[in-house]
Amino acid sequence: MKNHHLSAVRVTAPPDVPHPTPAARAIELDHVSRSFSSSEGELLALRDIALEVREGEFLAILGPSGCGKSTLLQIMAGLMPASSGQARLHGRPVDGPPEGMVYLFQQYAKSLLPWRSVAANVALAFEGDARYSRAQVRERAGQYLALVGLTGFEKHYPWQLSGGMQQRVAIARALAANPRVLLLDEPFSAVDALTRVELQTLILDLWRRHGLTVVLVTHDVDEAVFLSDRIAILSRRPTTVEEVIDTGIAHPRDAIATREHPRFLALRHALMERLLQRGGHA
Amino acid sequence: MSRRTAMARWLPGAASVLLVLAAWEAAVRAGAVNPALLPAPSVVLSTLGGVLRAGEVFGPLRQTLQLMAAGYAIACVLGIALGIVMGRSEAGYRLFEPLVELVRPIPKPALIPPLFLFLGIGVKTMLFIVVLAAFFPVLINTVQGVRGIDPVLLNTARTFRLGRAAVVFKVVLPAALPMIAIGMRVSLAIALTLVIVAEMLAGENGVGFLILDMQRAFRIQHMYAWLVVLAAVGVALNAAFEWVERRLLPWRGRQ
Repeated sequence: MKNHHLSAVRVTAPPDVPHPTPAARAIELDHVSRSFSSSEGELLALRDIALEVREGEFLAILGPSGCGKSTLLQIMAGLMPASSGQARLHGRPVDGPPEGMVYLFQQYAKSLLPWRSVAANVALAFEGDARYSRAQVRERAGQYLALVGLTGFEKHYPWQLSGGMQQRVAIARALAANPRVLLLDEPFSAVDALTRVELQTLILDLWRRHGLTVVLVTHDVDEAVFLSDRIAILSRRPTTVEEVIDTGIAHPRDAIATREHPRFLALRHALMERLLQRGGHA
Repeated sequence: MSRRTAMARWLPGAASVLLVLAAWEAAVRAGAVNPALLPAPSVVLSTLGGVLRAGEVFGPLRQTLQLMAAGYAIACVLGIALGIVMGRSEAGYRLFEPLVELVRPIPKPALIPPLFLFLGIGVKTMLFIVVLAAFFPVLINTVQGVRGIDPVLLNTARTFRLGRAAVVFKVVLPAALPMIAIGMRVSLAIALTLVIVAEMLAGENGVGFLILDMQRAFRIQHMYAWLVVLAAVGVALNAAFEWVERRLLPWRGRQ
């Protein structure tokens, strides 16, 4: 039997890898389970998930389609309660969307408000804060749009923009809430391949500059390896965390060169093999 | 070019209207119909011209439109408010849904006689019946619109920690507005119908009262002149609604 365990490809991490030690914990999942009632009775989607997200890291959660990745992320976000167990953010139990954490949806087109201009969409994140005057709200929205390269599009409406630009608006809006933790639910799966690479580079850049903690859910091995410091690999239903691996790839990463790095290729190979066998394709 | 295409679009419709008017005029002149019961359109128009010149149209028209506007506005506010409650809360839906389904199918003019017993023969009854009739289409469409909002949109509001009122006014209401507008449009026609019926039964003035009054006084030409006024009001209200709708909902169907 072929050994596809990841330790087989583990190589020594380069010396310039940022080590978030001593590891302050941003998010903890403590024996989280989640079941749904269906016509065939209770369906256990997540089983006893234990996972820690370190302060300031970029963690990818990788698993096949339909394994409950989004469910897991929504529990972290306080958008869905766990059936048992607990999610904690900075030590406090999550029982609703907590301050300092924003969820970025895969369906950016449904997440933007079509009746609001691009700038007004971004302003949704902070306009409720009485500290900002009308002029300040407008100025701040413009600043966040500049971060994602959308200066000049303030007065456009979401439906006048391409998919990639709409997701940039959603990213600007998420950042405008001034979060410490960003939860990304397959955010680049609905855009074309080139736009995806651009957005990945943008997110990496924003993560580094803003000192964010990012949790990315994806089924795209290439994306997980390219973006993250660690990858949590999920099993099939009922989903558990099988293994958490360090990618050990240096920052800053380059959209082309990093993908040719031997470590990147070895990890991608091993993970692809593993996901495909898991899906029963091999 | 655009003027020509616009004309090409209007021409067939205008032609059919003119054709019917011409046939009507010819039928009266040829003695095929009794002009005492159905005067020629040219006669109706000249009667209407007389009414307009004498300034007699504005008093009754204002009365009718005021009553209708008040009833319609109250119905819209109540329908949207209850619709949001029923659309947002499962308990609210279960509480009100049976009551709504019980009252909604009743043809509203049938309620005017019992209302006379409680509210008297006058403005209170007329207003109440317009509100009641215009209320349900707005309510039903609001409930559907609110319940049909994409969960992603509501979760977006949650992840940005919007408060209860902010969720309703910044997300729920605008998101449901295209559906609410459909209900409001249906209600607009219903409100006009009911105000006319109510004026015929309980009015002392107004367009509905006058149409019936002219018929009873056998001033048939005037009766038809007021019917033309009413048709014009209907067309104008519809056009005004469309204009407002286009301005308020430019994003509709663009998602």
